[in-house]
Amino acid sequence: MAALGYYLLLAAFVVCAYAAAISVAGARRRSRPLLESGVGAFYLVAAIMTTASSLIIHAFVTGDYSVRYVQQTSDSTLPLFYKITSYWGGLDGSIMFWVFLLSLFGGAAVYFNRERHRELVPYIVAVISVIQMFFLYLMIVHNNPFQTFLTENPTEGTGLSPLLQNFYMVIHPPTMYLGFVGLTIPYAFGMAALITGHLDDSWLRAVRRWTMIAWLFLSVGLGLGMIWAYEELGWGGYWMWDPVENAGLLPWFTATAFLHSVMVQERRGMLKVWNIVLVITTFFLTIFQTFMTRSGIVQSVHAFGQDPELARMFIMFMVTLVVVSFGFLIYRLPLLRSRNEFDSWLSREAAFLFNNWILVFSAFFVLFATMFPTLSHAVTGERITVGPPFFNQWMIPIGLTMLVLTGIGPLLAWRKSTVLNLRDQFLFPTLAGLAVGGTVVALGVRVWSSGICFGFSGLVMGTIAQEFWRGARVRQQTTGTDLFTALVGLVGRNKRRYGGYLIHVAIVLMFLGFAGAGFKQKQIVEATPGQEIEIGDFIVRFDGLKVTDDARKQMVTGEMTIFRNGAELTRMYPARWYFHRRESEPTTEVAIRRSFAEDLYLVMSDFDLSRQQASIEVHLNPLVNWLWFGFGMLAFGTFVALLPDRAFAFADAKVPAHAATASMLLLAVVLWPAAVLAQDAAPRVRFTALEEQVRGEVMCTCGCRRSLTFCGMANCHGEAEQMARLREYISQGKSHNQVIAAFVNDMGAEILMSPPDSGFNRLAWLLPYVLGAAGLVTIVMTARRWSRPAIAGAGGADATLDPALDARLDDELRDLD
Amino acid sequence: MSSEISTESQPLAPHRADPGPKPSTNAAFEPWQLFTLAGLIGATIAVFMARGQSASAVILISLTIFAAAAVGVAALRTVLPLTRKTTLEASQVLGGRTRAGLEREKALALRSIKELEFDRAMGKVSEKDFDEMSGRLRARAARLMRQLDAGAGYRGEIEREIARRIGAQEVSLPARPAGQCASCGTSNDADARFCKHCGRAMEGKA
Repeated sequence: MAALGYYLLLAAFVVCAYAAAISVAGARRRSRPLLESGVGAFYLVAAIMTTASSLIIHAFVTGDYSVRYVQQTSDSTLPLFYKITSYWGGLDGSIMFWVFLLSLFGGAAVYFNRERHRELVPYIVAVISVIQMFFLYLMIVHNNPFQTFLTENPTEGTGLSPLLQNFYMVIHPPTMYLGFVGLTIPYAFGMAALITGHLDDSWLRAVRRWTMIAWLFLSVGLGLGMIWAYEELGWGGYWMWDPVENAGLLPWFTATAFLHSVMVQERRGMLKVWNIVLVITTFFLTIFQTFMTRSGIVQSVHAFGQDPELARMFIMFMVTLVVVSFGFLIYRLPLLRSRNEFDSWLSREAAFLFNNWILVFSAFFVLFATMFPTLSHAVTGERITVGPPFFNQWMIPIGLTMLVLTGIGPLLAWRKSTVLNLRDQFLFPTLAGLAVGGTVVALGVRVWSSGICFGFSGLVMGTIAQEFWRGARVRQQTTGTDLFTALVGLVGRNKRRYGGYLIHVAIVLMFLGFAGAGFKQKQIVEATPGQEIEIGDFIVRFDGLKVTDDARKQMVTGEMTIFRNGAELTRMYPARWYFHRRESEPTTEVAIRRSFAEDLYLVMSDFDLSRQQASIEVHLNPLVNWLWFGFGMLAFGTFVALLPDRAFAFADAKVPAHAATASMLLLAVVLWPAAVLAQDAAPRVRFTALEEQVRGEVMCTCGCRRSLTFCGMANCHGEAEQMARLREYISQGKSHNQVIAAFVNDMGAEILMSPPDSGFNRLAWLLPYVLGAAGLVTIVMTARRWSRPAIAGAGGADATLDPALDARLDDELRDLD
Repeated sequence: MSSEISTESQPLAPHRADPGPKPSTNAAFEPWQLFTLAGLIGATIAVFMARGQSASAVILISLTIFAAAAVGVAALRTVLPLTRKTTLEASQVLGGRTRAGLEREKALALRSIKELEFDRAMGKVSEKDFDEMSGRLRARAARLMRQLDAGAGYRGEIEREIARRIGAQEVSLPARPAGQCASCGTSNDADARFCKHCGRAMEGKA
């Protein structure tokens, strides 16, 4: 079986090569048989990969441990579901799964576009085939998932990593892969357009949907990853700027930028070159993230491990990719000259330019900060850490700017808005923003970033509500129907725009979740049975420990009773599970009590059975659930935007207005408890202010690569060591800077969560400024260049319009609705 | 099995407009049917041979065999076109592209006007700006329409193509484009019986 699988991979490689070669030959010779054969070969790859995939899943299900990969990622006691999903649980299989998905996605893309974009199809086939060839080559020479043991075969597998035995972790990777693989399709179309020179907007229209689908998968994939981190890793948060997380975020930024700037090209015929650059960059980043997670170039808790050989192959592929893609782009520049007119800074175009600047800046900033330790290591020979404090310092203002742009952009008209319009347009949203912001301040919120975030959220919700309301009114007047029908018609007529607004609502919901993080509370207690822990309104009582066992694992469960305002609320059971054969990697099973306002999140980080003691972490995470609602809303909004043009979407269209009002209401309801929480956040100090500050800046030494504040590891010895050191420094009367200097002196710069601001590492602090400023200057320069011809050409338009032609124009306009 | 008749060649169906082998319905077998049958038989045998194993394993074996059948179909789909002798008529694809580009530009201009009107109704644009921008857009749309009129219309091209195909003598094109209303000049669909603007009966239709 294993040999057959390997031969199938070989065959797929050969067929890919054939498909690429014969498609190009067919396109050049205009030979229909060759073209058809190329498309056939392309489908053949998908069929072969399906066969190979079902072979390897069969090996997993039947427990064929003669296959090395099967032996390493599964065992006989795994439930069937996890056996199947072990397919993508390791490096080799994940590459194979990638090719499998790409062949299916590519096959579908070619199938749906074979007529509309006949001239592009051969090159799409060729481009995707070449990409598949690279991954197949990796498997054939280096990461063969069908490799067998040379000597005797083990009879049992070593099992899937317990951390991966979580429902979200099972669907998270395929969702991410679908996103990444989906982003290959726009790239293939873009390259086909560049190669053939058919650079009008038709390729763009073809990829719009594919990009949206890929973007949806990517967003949902990121969301699932966050849920997994929240539920499985047990440190109370969902995002810690780990290199692997960042890697998935990079293409998300550029794909989002593309989805916005594509509208400028469609509407105004501008930004043609930029759009292709974005498509290429996005695809490059998907490959780059694969490289980052699989080559071990960055240090991360969940990278696949070191592999210089693989890194070398990836680097060669990426260099080729960049050279060829941008080479074609430069070669085709003359065809990409666009009619650029820039009327005013107060226009939707300008808002889109800023949106793109911020998104692309975010991508580059995250890329840079993620790669900086590697870079610094190469230059100075000293490994440093770029951790959450550094990212937050930048990403909080960037995120807030992005949020406020979400509120402003839709209010601006294409081409030009006047001051008078602006007042009319901005009045309601600004009032909404001020009202929410004012309420929050009045309720006692004193965290500036969260306060501003709430205010901006109000602004965005105001904008969206106004857009729906006024749009419906306008439509009501022109069609003479009731408001509700008008709303349905409005959304039905322009699904992409109003679907987009729904996605903006989703973004606001997510930002609510982010803002809630400003009011987190946390307590760590060494609890004995009967001990009570007070947090917010809650009292958590530790009742004792229980040890149970099932076929696969031993479970140590802490039993807790929760009281709220004196009344018993519920019982919760945080636990630690020790999977057999993986006893050294116990999993932390978090107990979460969810509600709209906040999550009570219990972690049992350590225990002592003999004394019935447990180390309990109690987190109170306000508004976290709004983040997950946001992801749901995002999926719904994308779904609306993706509805086919002709579908009139009666059922779906009626939701938005309700959703908008409901969200506004919920916003108000939800803010209240958050504010109350914020008020009593102050008492109960376990660390002094200085200690707490340093805890956030210094890394724990247990290998978790997190700051002392966020180390959630079991049996963590590092935190105690570091705290001892910290207290010693403080007792010597050292100031904050001296304490930090002492840490660096003793343990090297790597111990800090942010790079020190000196020597080469100063670059980390400088470059984001430089990048941001450069982007801004570029935008201003481009806009200024574009605005000149427009002014010159404005008077030149032929003012005398043929009346007959004018009447015909009116006719056609009437038909357009 | 008449192997030259394959549903798998459907994906490139438009090319079949040129005279070639027409799909005949009386063929006994189509390749995909054969492969499905082969898959079914193979799966049956496999299930029989693996009858001691768990249900999931048996299902996966069957799936593998069906995937293998799909490989067969796709392989046939790859090889079959090479046995044909037709070649693509060069430049056919490229011919209409400039025109399609103009059409696209026009649609873009019209959509922009529409959008602008909507924006005005929403109160986003001042009257003055609206007049100026709308004037510019209308001028552009009109220029594009004039350009499109200057080139031979699709309709004429289609009529000529039909004439060529059915072998009739050249159809003389009406002076007024088909579907244009005699009284108000609105362009209607070719098969319209009444003008959609003024409601008059179209010439020779109603």
